[in-house]
Amino acid sequence: MITPGTLTALLFVVTLGMAVVLFARPTLTDTREGKVLAFAALFLLPLLCSAVSFSAHVEKSKTTTFCLSCHTMESYGRSLNVDDPRYLAAAHFQNHRVPEAQACYTCHTDYVLYGGLRAKLRGLRHVYVQYFGQPPAPGAIRLYTAYNNRECLYCHLGARSFEDSPIHTAMRAEVISNQVSCLSSGCHDTVHNAGGLGNVKFWKGTP
Amino acid sequence: MPRSVMQRRIRMAAGFLSAGLLVELLALLWSYPIAFLVSVLVGIPLVGLGILIFLYSLVSVRE
Repeated sequence: MITPGTLTALLFVVTLGMAVVLFARPTLTDTREGKVLAFAALFLLPLLCSAVSFSAHVEKSKTTTFCLSCHTMESYGRSLNVDDPRYLAAAHFQNHRVPEAQACYTCHTDYVLYGGLRAKLRGLRHVYVQYFGQPPAPGAIRLYTAYNNRECLYCHLGARSFEDSPIHTAMRAEVISNQVSCLSSGCHDTVHNAGGLGNVKFWKGTP
Repeated sequence: MPRSVMQRRIRMAAGFLSAGLLVELLALLWSYPIAFLVSVLVGIPLVGLGILIFLYSLVSVRE
């Protein structure tokens, strides 16, 4: 079966092959066909390759393994396996309320126009700080702005578990208008607790 | 322009492009932030340089 990865590899190998041929035999461009080959090999295909490569990296940057590959994020990764349903991130991750492969991105993106782009720009800043700056201690990491209920409601609004809860029903307007935070109002206030994972039990995961 | 100069530029463009494409291809094999940085800071500039040299070799031709 031909996967996007196979097609990408094929595109790169063909382009690379054509460029190597022109490197070894630049006299090929003396002919009209050679000029067409050169235009494809040294302009069109490399542009396409770079665009495909950049797009693939952007897609990879959404993955959980990408986010957790930085040492600073290690305890946040561990927090996903805490064996305690009060840990919000763990409960979402373990019960597949978020896609396992894109767990971080699913919650830490803004569900508005250009929200994904903004999340990626923030991610670029994180990469810069990781390699060229001073990464903060895991427990000292804070969100840029208070977590917006909009991100929770993107999935939960209309869901039976949310709508049937008498507490949610009583506070529905305040929750939707973001006047009462889902996280800091004493309701779902344990999220990652990355700085306090010393004495918690961990779920071993699926076999 | 002597043909050899143009061919030298095409060879140079092909060299930069090959190096850049190889870097981008290798970077695609990993899904770590460092691979993204290598691709954006090394691979894409090399490819861009190769393309610019190729385009320059075209516009600098005098019959």
